[in-house]
Amino acid sequence: MTSEADAVVIGGGIVGAACAYYLCAAGLSVHLVERSFPASGTSRACDGLILTWDKAPGAELALGQASAALWAGLAETLDFDFEYARAGTILLAENEPALAAGRARAEAMQAAGVRAQALDSAGLRSLEPNLAADLAGGAFFPDDAQVDARRATLALLAAAQQRGLTLHPQAEVSAIRRANGGEGRVSGVVTTAGEISTETVVCAAGVWSNEVARLAGLELPIRPRKGHILVTARLPGLIHHPMLEGGYVTTVQSAAEDLQVALVAEMTAGGTLLLGSSRQFAGFDRSVSLAVLQAIAARAARFLPALARVGVMRSYAGLRPWSPDHLPLIGPVVAVPGLYLAAGHEGAGIGLAPVTGQLIAGWVAGGDLPPVADEVRPDRFELASTTLRRF
Amino acid sequence: MGSVELAVVGAGPAGLSAAITAARSGLRTALLDEYPRPGGQYLKGASEPDAAPPISAAERQGRTLLRQLAETDLELRTQTLVWGIERASEGWRLALHGPRGLDWLEARAVVVAAGARELVVPFPGWTLPGVMTLGAAQILAKAHGVLPGRRVLLAGSGPLLLAAAAELTRRGARVTAVLEAVPLSRWLRHAPAIWGNWDRLGEGRHYLAELWRSGTPYRPGWTVAEALGGDELEAVIVARLDRRGHPIPSSREQVPADSLCMGFGFIPNVELTQLAGCAHVFDPARGGWVPGVDERLETSLPGLFVAGEAAGVAGAAAAMLEGHIAGMAAAYRLGRLPEGQLARELAARAGRRRRLGRFAAMLNTLFAPAPGLDALITDDTPICRCEEVSAGEVRAAIRGGATELDALKTWMRVGQGACQGRTFGPLLARLVAVETGRPVGQAGCFGVRPPLKPIPLGDLAQEGAS
Repeated sequence: MTSEADAVVIGGGIVGAACAYYLCAAGLSVHLVERSFPASGTSRACDGLILTWDKAPGAELALGQASAALWAGLAETLDFDFEYARAGTILLAENEPALAAGRARAEAMQAAGVRAQALDSAGLRSLEPNLAADLAGGAFFPDDAQVDARRATLALLAAAQQRGLTLHPQAEVSAIRRANGGEGRVSGVVTTAGEISTETVVCAAGVWSNEVARLAGLELPIRPRKGHILVTARLPGLIHHPMLEGGYVTTVQSAAEDLQVALVAEMTAGGTLLLGSSRQFAGFDRSVSLAVLQAIAARAARFLPALARVGVMRSYAGLRPWSPDHLPLIGPVVAVPGLYLAAGHEGAGIGLAPVTGQLIAGWVAGGDLPPVADEVRPDRFELASTTLRRF
Repeated sequence: MGSVELAVVGAGPAGLSAAITAARSGLRTALLDEYPRPGGQYLKGASEPDAAPPISAAERQGRTLLRQLAETDLELRTQTLVWGIERASEGWRLALHGPRGLDWLEARAVVVAAGARELVVPFPGWTLPGVMTLGAAQILAKAHGVLPGRRVLLAGSGPLLLAAAAELTRRGARVTAVLEAVPLSRWLRHAPAIWGNWDRLGEGRHYLAELWRSGTPYRPGWTVAEALGGDELEAVIVARLDRRGHPIPSSREQVPADSLCMGFGFIPNVELTQLAGCAHVFDPARGGWVPGVDERLETSLPGLFVAGEAAGVAGAAAAMLEGHIAGMAAAYRLGRLPEGQLARELAARAGRRRRLGRFAAMLNTLFAPAPGLDALITDDTPICRCEEVSAGEVRAAIRGGATELDALKTWMRVGQGACQGRTFGPLLARLVAVETGRPVGQAGCFGVRPPLKPIPLGDLAQEGAS
């Protein structure tokens, strides 16, 4: 069975869903191929924070700010409720050195145009009375938001389907075809659900993007960076804003190989608390490590003592698509005309999904691209593999 | 952190048998159970002074095990939840939670004897106060001396229905009727597998005789179609089932009841073996998803054994036999039993094992809820109580492409509440099968991650006793 499409998106996580949505909105006929079910990978094993203050000023922050604005709009326009809430986020400083670092970050963010408010110990507790009394203070970033990542993925897909998206769940891509004996433009993809003729392929397979890229003879610098989250029993009202300890930024920006843990706490609309976070390079193993759960629990009890008696219901682990310069790979691949990448967002995939979709639609359908588009182009890395496979 | 040669998880008939066998063969053994007393559901209350005399050889054997336990040199840890399992350098590391908080136990081999849980088939009104499972009613009666109500109706299918009816009647409840969904005609097809299992048949005959003496109506081919009431159960609509298990509308009648106890058999508790990561297969004759095992009850992971209902629903007699085999196989695996002796022990028990296995497969097939029963699950029937998801929402999601359990969990939060989908996971798989026309096994099962049951966050953060 062969079908035709203007563009084929590979990957049904939040980034693939956003690419499909913006491509459909640009008037293209789009197919999305997902080898399991939508949101079956990293997009169901993450938190739903839309943060700006963890981003480095420059390209990363520009992407974050643009995407945060897009999320706010999507919350208004999409039919499917994905529990968008703009309550702001809190940076927590455990002690004086952490407070000094937090203050410096808040000031740098303000200088870059992000609203921020410094908090002393009392200010922190007036925002969140259940925090430990001995914390030094922190900062409040009122424009940050959160979504339910799974529902957000489904919302984008549903909206794309309304605009003509054809979704192929349980279908895996086995080959990418190219014209001119394998040297020319992309001409189609072969999947377990049939072949699709297309001149445009968007690889949005997250941490598994390398499997797709290798079909086109490319080798991506993306590596899986594992994270854990634990989920508590329902505690409506225990916290009012998502909160992160200031050291979180250090764990995000570092490329350390060993385990790093920093508290991230987020209340879902259902009243359960999601507690993270951990970062480690551990291959593609998605099993939950008991020691990491313990480390996160210890951080959570340190900042929110009332949690000590609360039941931990379950946990999950996911794989973030880490990129060496901490910027995603978004845009065309010159060596393979017609192939676009939308991958490598590490832990920021939920937040950056809309801007990624918009950039991809801009590249594919033509249109104005913001200056940041050039800074996230995949070709800043050496992508061509020495063992080029031809189809 | 403690360390033993063998950890046995679950102190029901299978676990008792495995632990006693292993300890007697010289293995340093720990026996772990969530409840305050060993014995599992089957032997609950068996060592109480007012316990009724045993009515079967299996029950006698179980009580013997409880007595032997007291004389066996092993470490019994009750009120201890096993909430996680990981590979250790030599064997396994179990994450425990008990009265003293968090703890760890390293074991070179593990026997999982985690038992089974009741299978529930919902119907409109099943979440009303006054509706409970047969097992819950039995625990109330046996462990707390409380009867579920004054006018008790029992519905479901399988041997526990009779046992629970007899138990409740004996304790003074007025059981207004026992509705067995399986019609007598289905029994005849299974006659050959019944032959020879006189002990199990004797149990059934004993319970039936008790019911007849008390004048309780036993109605094969009937089930509960709806539970009625405002704040609590007031009446039940019962209906006769046709050959394919569909309720016949014209047969519906209303009976008053302030308690409805239901149960449609058992499904194996496989969360711990799933978490350990061994291979599982879907086998309806063994009660659903079960770990794949060899003749020695060893799973696909060396040193990880299963015994009893957790390896396939087969009743207490089979559980004790399997516990014994797993205990010996673990002793062999750890070098305490020569291979020749293990082979002889296995050969000596092969015939009985086969016969019990055939009988269990017959029961599981005979009493499996007929597909027609799903017709009772109207679209407004709640499926996941914690997350308040109805059957209609589940069916819509399945039609929208969520054709496996993990997809349903991701898309609509079913199974994310307190029970983590343990109660209704098998039911979701049935709904998927009905909507997609594919076999039940293709719907998969919920992914399992620690903690297997909720534990307080402060305890999780502890280092654990050294």
